[in-house]
Amino acid sequence: MGSVGGEYRLKGIAKELLTYKSGVFGIAFLVVLISLSVYTIIAIPYGGAIDLWRGEGNVWIENPRNAQPYWVNYFGPNLPETIKRDSHQTGAGTVKVLIPIPQTNLKMLRIGFSFDYVYDAFPSEINIFFSARFNESAPFLRIYWTKPGSTEIKLLDYITRTANDNFYLSIHPQVAANIDSYIAGIVGEKPLAPLPVEQALFAVEDQTIKSTTTAKPLKGTYKLVIDGTLFGEDSDLDARVVIYGRICGLAGTDHLRRDLTIALLWGTPIALSFGLTASLTISLLQLLIATVSGYYGGKIDSLIQRFTEGYMILPFLPFLILIATFYRLDIWILLTVIIVLSVFGGGVKSTRALVMQIKEYPYIEAARAYGASSKRIVLLYIIPKILPPIVPSLIGSVPGYVFLEAALSLLGLGDPYLPSWGKVIEDSYRGGALYKGYYYWVTEPALMLILTAFAFSFLGFALDKIVNPKLREI
Amino acid sequence: MTDNILEVRKLFLYYATRKGTVKAVDSVSFDLKKGETLALVGESGCGKSSMAKAVIRLLPRNIDKYDGEVLLEQQNIMEHDETTFRKDVRWKKISMAFQGAMNSLNPVLKVGYQVAEPLLIHEDMKKQEALEKSIESLRMVGIHESFMERYPFELSGGMKQRAVIAMALVTHPRILILDEPTSALDVITQANIMNLLKKLKNEMGLSYIFITHDIGLSSELADKVAVMYAGEVQEIAKAEAFYRKPTHPYSQKLMASVPTLRTDKKPEFIPGAPPSLISPPTGCRFHPRCPSAFDRCSKENPPAFDLGSGHYVKCWWYEQSGEKNE
Amino acid sequence: MAMKGLIKFILRRTVVIYLVVVFAIYLTIIIANMGGYVDEIVKSELTFAITSRFRNDPAYQGYPPDVIDKLTQDEIQLQIKRSGLDLPFPIRSVIYLRNALTLDLGNAQYMYSDSGSRLVKNIILERLPQTVMLFTTAMLVNFSITMSIGLYLSRHHGSKLDKLFIAGAPTSVIPGWFYGIFLILIFASYFHVLPYGGLVDVPPPSDPIQYFLSMIKHMILPLASWVTSAFFLGCYGNRTFFLIFSTEDYVEAARAKGVPPRQIETKYILRPSLPPIVTSFALGLINSWSGAIITERVFNWPGLGSVTYSAISAFDTPVLIGVTIIYAYLLAATVLLLDVAYGLIDPRIKAKFGR
Repeated sequence: MGSVGGEYRLKGIAKELLTYKSGVFGIAFLVVLISLSVYTIIAIPYGGAIDLWRGEGNVWIENPRNAQPYWVNYFGPNLPETIKRDSHQTGAGTVKVLIPIPQTNLKMLRIGFSFDYVYDAFPSEINIFFSARFNESAPFLRIYWTKPGSTEIKLLDYITRTANDNFYLSIHPQVAANIDSYIAGIVGEKPLAPLPVEQALFAVEDQTIKSTTTAKPLKGTYKLVIDGTLFGEDSDLDARVVIYGRICGLAGTDHLRRDLTIALLWGTPIALSFGLTASLTISLLQLLIATVSGYYGGKIDSLIQRFTEGYMILPFLPFLILIATFYRLDIWILLTVIIVLSVFGGGVKSTRALVMQIKEYPYIEAARAYGASSKRIVLLYIIPKILPPIVPSLIGSVPGYVFLEAALSLLGLGDPYLPSWGKVIEDSYRGGALYKGYYYWVTEPALMLILTAFAFSFLGFALDKIVNPKLREI
Repeated sequence: MTDNILEVRKLFLYYATRKGTVKAVDSVSFDLKKGETLALVGESGCGKSSMAKAVIRLLPRNIDKYDGEVLLEQQNIMEHDETTFRKDVRWKKISMAFQGAMNSLNPVLKVGYQVAEPLLIHEDMKKQEALEKSIESLRMVGIHESFMERYPFELSGGMKQRAVIAMALVTHPRILILDEPTSALDVITQANIMNLLKKLKNEMGLSYIFITHDIGLSSELADKVAVMYAGEVQEIAKAEAFYRKPTHPYSQKLMASVPTLRTDKKPEFIPGAPPSLISPPTGCRFHPRCPSAFDRCSKENPPAFDLGSGHYVKCWWYEQSGEKNE
Repeated sequence: MAMKGLIKFILRRTVVIYLVVVFAIYLTIIIANMGGYVDEIVKSELTFAITSRFRNDPAYQGYPPDVIDKLTQDEIQLQIKRSGLDLPFPIRSVIYLRNALTLDLGNAQYMYSDSGSRLVKNIILERLPQTVMLFTTAMLVNFSITMSIGLYLSRHHGSKLDKLFIAGAPTSVIPGWFYGIFLILIFASYFHVLPYGGLVDVPPPSDPIQYFLSMIKHMILPLASWVTSAFFLGCYGNRTFFLIFSTEDYVEAARAKGVPPRQIETKYILRPSLPPIVTSFALGLINSWSGAIITERVFNWPGLGSVTYSAISAFDTPVLIGVTIIYAYLLAATVLLLDVAYGLIDPRIKAKFGR
């Protein structure tokens, strides 16, 4: 066995691989990908990742939507981070006072939040999350806002509806109306297209406030005050305000506020395992089929050849789409379908040609002469000879399958719960990332795909040059 | 002296490869008289094919050195530019039949056309006339004219070889270089081809350069024999003198390796392997395998010593007997 | 003599290929019906039509509800019997097969063609020309670029340019549609010089020349994405082909014969290398049909692929089945064309079948 596969010692190959620049790149990228995968699988267990990605239970509620990665700020723009204040934790910037009024079952509540706003852009959203405790009557609240160096604006009178109430301040119509009147009072007229609430609350109050293109944030210390009346001896109210920034996390967030790093990280082992499994299985199956076809010849050969030719005419992608549309597919069943649809593909023809060539070698004839069984000949002599030429194309075809998964996701046929790169691109496409300028949303998964593609492709080409020495001279 | 149709003087052909410079033809000189057959004999890789290509200027792109004098009918064709060479020398005066006739024919062109093609190029003939001449040429080599319309894959190995010869002769050149014309054929076909070659030589007054590794085969046609080893001509002599008594140790070994039918000879072999043309042995190139090598052989490369009547040998043993001939 | 051989060969290939198409379509029908969908569609359409007919027909207005129900059920049963839905599936599948082969693809569930027709055939065929136009142009552009550059590279192999192409070959593993996304990102989203997608500007220009120009403008990015993907590998592949073919013995023999260089290129290098080049062209064509679906989605190009995408989103079964069938035909036609081309350029085939 040693001499049969002798030319292809592993160490020799590895050393030679490194002499080619493409080999170096390929291996480097591959190492990065594998380490990412290993890290991801350890750091964020699969089940946890899926749950996170499904986003149930409001787990992402405190992330901004469509936020850019935090490091964008290093390149110039001074985009806001998310600012949070919680009345559960009094301290710098948070004050809570709860005073029962004697001889009544009323209580006076005052929660005061203050924070500095030093950014050059407006926040994306403002929400307040109330957690209240009350028996019969819900707390009655008045919410006030103070800009730096300015007077207090009353935003709204509000009654919490449930014990855990989410108050979407920036889209609340009453708040918007109140702000509008306030601004009209300042600039003398109602602007035709009023600023969104989260911008109006932070904008410099001069003529620039009239339109989104001219408005600028006012830097300084802001105050949010919640004055309330609580009913009942045991009643209490806490508030958590989140002023959503425009940057978040290592990779930004998507339209569902999910941190994209999860998808980017988890996409790695998914892509790798999908691509490698597909490629390996199909290559090995094709090898087997080609060997049987080429070695045994005769009717089996003709039959298999007809099959192969027929497969070439079958419309692969439409079939895949048909199956994926009708039957809900998770990614592993998808893999099986792809394998079945590819098994009699073109690789069979080329490998079979090789097998037929090797079949005629004298040492095969010699083996038959000393009584070796067909099985022995095939396993011991033929397969080791045809295995090496297959390896480069095996490696080189991995990206194809990874892109196939991405393509199916883009068509809306991918596994809906899986955080794959294709899914992220699909989300971004549907979310209009290209129109709205959310470039990171598209480029991050795309770059991961490119990295993966290049890793295997460069490696495959370098391997090809090694295994087919003819190609080296040319 | 002047009935030499071809005189080659100090011909060099070096290839530049990744592993080094291949000295395929290293200062080769010989003469070819009109109507003469020169057999160029040697092992695989000794530079015989390169020699032929050097004469007919079929060079690859990685040339390191290409130098020397080639006097064709007293004209130095090394000085011709490419266009002149293509029009005046190739196929007009010197033709070549390549090694591996199977592949010398374009698989997608008809046989008749390919045989006629040189006429279309060199003689500017009308197509009809050229095809007539090519029928004639094919008939001369024993191929029926119905094969004009066939494609090369429809011909047997022997027929392809004949067609290649026909193709080489259709322009009635003076010299025909044959590179291993029979090595891919069975012995019977081989004999046929050899007979054909003899017939053609007589009918058309051709001069041959017959390249082969088969020293026995060469004796059928040769008037003169040149033995090549490691890019150099080690011995060159008239056929009779050579076959009766080869002087160079290598030639002697070659002769000794040929099995004979009628005598009880035990064929010998030459130990060792042919040398690398990139870094040939110092001194005499044959010395590592030479049974008669002595001290000087490993240090200095002997010049060609003149033993008289056109017999030259590159071996230190003959320093006394011959005059130096550079 | 050769023609007869050629015709025999073509006929034989046509039969074989047609059989495969039949098999493919049958397979489609089986897959699509495995969930019972095809039948459900027909049954539900039937039920709906009959029920609403009975409800809206003034002649039946006065009847008591249970009488109407019975009449409805009876009619439904009758129609089911009539349309053969009570027949076992194997027989029905053959009926569907026959319909599919004659391109009787039925009605769409939800979709309409631009001309308002519900026929699947119309929906699909209406959009086919745009796809053919885009992708044929892409293939031609691609072919001419890669052939000419490949030829040039083969003549200058080993040069720096050559090494550049060898190094860049792996970039072709990325499919055209992926490059498309990036091109849109750069040229439409960032620089705003080229459109995001679609066939023509909105609203479409009324002047035919302007319309044509607008269409050209919209074709630029899809074409560019396709060419980018195939560029390096295509040039490298062709270059290698030409190199291999130019180192053949008969090329050297031709040079020895004194054949002028240009004739060597055409007769001795290009002609023999046509078969593999034609093969790779055909394979590229086949790939592009499939790739069309995704590319058209990315660029919003109103062709066969867009129809497919709409059908997926709308879950319109008959259209999807129809698309698959059309694709089967397209692919079969391409393979047949490939075989015909082979027959024409490879003398061995003509000879084999002619004698």
